[in-house]
Amino acid sequence: MSQALDMITRVRGVRGAMLVSAEDGIVVAEQLMEGIKGPAVAALAASLAGRLRRAMDAAGTGAAAFWHLQAEQGALLVVPGAGILVVAVAEPDVNIGLVRLELLRAVEAGL
Amino acid sequence: MDDIRALSAQLAQDPQSLVFLRLGEALRRKGQLEAALRVAMNGLERHPHLADAHDLYARILTDKHDYERGFDEWDMAVRIAPHHTGALKGLAFLYFKVGDIEQAEAHLAAAKRVEPDDPSIEQAIAMMRKGASPPEPSAAAADSSTAASPTAASSTAQAPQGSGLDEARVFAGLEGANEGLLLIDGAGRVLGGALKDRAGTDVTDTVAAYLAGVSQEAARTAKLLGLGAWTGLSAEGQQGNVHLAHPTSGALLLVVRERGMPLGRLAILAQRATLMARRWLEQQ
Amino acid sequence: MSPQTRAVESWTLQPLTDFVREASARLVLVLTPSGQVLAQSGFSRAVDVMSAAALAAAIVASTSELARQLRQPPFAALSHQGPKTGFFLATFVTERGTLAVLAVYDLDVSSLGLVQLFYEQLAGDLKAASPKGAVPKQVLAADFERELTDSLNTLFGR
Repeated sequence: MSQALDMITRVRGVRGAMLVSAEDGIVVAEQLMEGIKGPAVAALAASLAGRLRRAMDAAGTGAAAFWHLQAEQGALLVVPGAGILVVAVAEPDVNIGLVRLELLRAVEAGL
Repeated sequence: MDDIRALSAQLAQDPQSLVFLRLGEALRRKGQLEAALRVAMNGLERHPHLADAHDLYARILTDKHDYERGFDEWDMAVRIAPHHTGALKGLAFLYFKVGDIEQAEAHLAAAKRVEPDDPSIEQAIAMMRKGASPPEPSAAAADSSTAASPTAASSTAQAPQGSGLDEARVFAGLEGANEGLLLIDGAGRVLGGALKDRAGTDVTDTVAAYLAGVSQEAARTAKLLGLGAWTGLSAEGQQGNVHLAHPTSGALLLVVRERGMPLGRLAILAQRATLMARRWLEQQ
Repeated sequence: MSPQTRAVESWTLQPLTDFVREASARLVLVLTPSGQVLAQSGFSRAVDVMSAAALAAAIVASTSELARQLRQPPFAALSHQGPKTGFFLATFVTERGTLAVLAVYDLDVSSLGLVQLFYEQLAGDLKAASPKGAVPKQVLAADFERELTDSLNTLFGR
């Protein structure tokens, strides 16, 4: 688990990676730089994931395999797994493709 | 009665559709409250996060004088969609009924902020200040100009507002302008565009209702995590990709495309659509 | 009908209102460990407030005693979750004395993570807002019924 998170945080621009319980929005494992609030990231990412899932179900696009919230000063990148979310917090100019790949690898490896 | 038959048939054909909102309301207006209640409850089971469904259920409960549960349902509708004027007016009506004029006025004022041009809200405030008793919700159903009644409130929430707009006008010239583009306001009401699911069913209103919640949560997440204002949300689905952006502070734009379109290209398309939507909104 | 959020002690109102909005909690009580309610949100009947407060106070008492017997500091928080609803009970110390917060939330609109996150904020806000140097008021048996009635009237806006 920590190796998977390690691979994600090695990507330049990634400030932290976490494993979050999708239903509860609580932290399962984390590797975060100082200043990143793990419980807040976990709770808010899970809540946004839930709302996005309902909207995507309604739109007929099926469940999200990857999502990415872009903001002026950073980004949140998420890959949902079975009952969990693998989450990365990153700088705004991070290589999204690379982070996406590492997040998907982490889920595929079953952490 | 023909309306009810037709709507029942539509609902039977497509139980997932939002026809239950119109059927429940039609039954309520006919005074068939038990049937209306069943329709509303079935609808709520399928669409538990749809503010309009809670609004409908609340109106029926209020007709049945079950004010406590009616209050809870309108309260839930406002939690899901804080700008739902139907629910705000409904709550105002119930507060008025128990003599809490201050709360009643506060809820009407909130509804007025969402719909400043709705004269019925002003009328309701004036009526309350005069101390006049608002009509019973069931009686008010016949007179939708009575703003203090939840029935009047619901009409704005259920109107398919996007249907009067031609999506091609908003997104004219854009790749795939006639499909998979949806422009909504902050309260989840459609301003332009339309969406169909893979089976061809129109899902515009349902998706619009859910998107308001997604946008609020995206804004809160970015703010509380110190990421600044959110600028976009992209997602890869099993059967399609989506990109959500906000052309103006009060509007949201959703672009839906086949799974084959990479997220990067989708983001560029969304950027173009955002510019067009912004221009169109400024002209309105 | 439920008055949305009401407080017997007005300094609790704003922090509680913020918590209810942010955590999307359905029902919330702010109370003392003896069961005296300072504020409520979402309850529609006085009898529900009374029984929830009594049960919450009993849980706080029993878990505190368990912790004492285990020679541990009192438990910080307790959470139970069913298929649709969860509840969260936690205590913290303010100038007003120890307070407990009981929050009930629906899983389709909230989560334990959100409740915990905004509970931290609520506890911080209540600590900051609590009257400084206040001595927790002792309710005498003779005054109990009047105090209770007054509190319930305030909590339900009567």
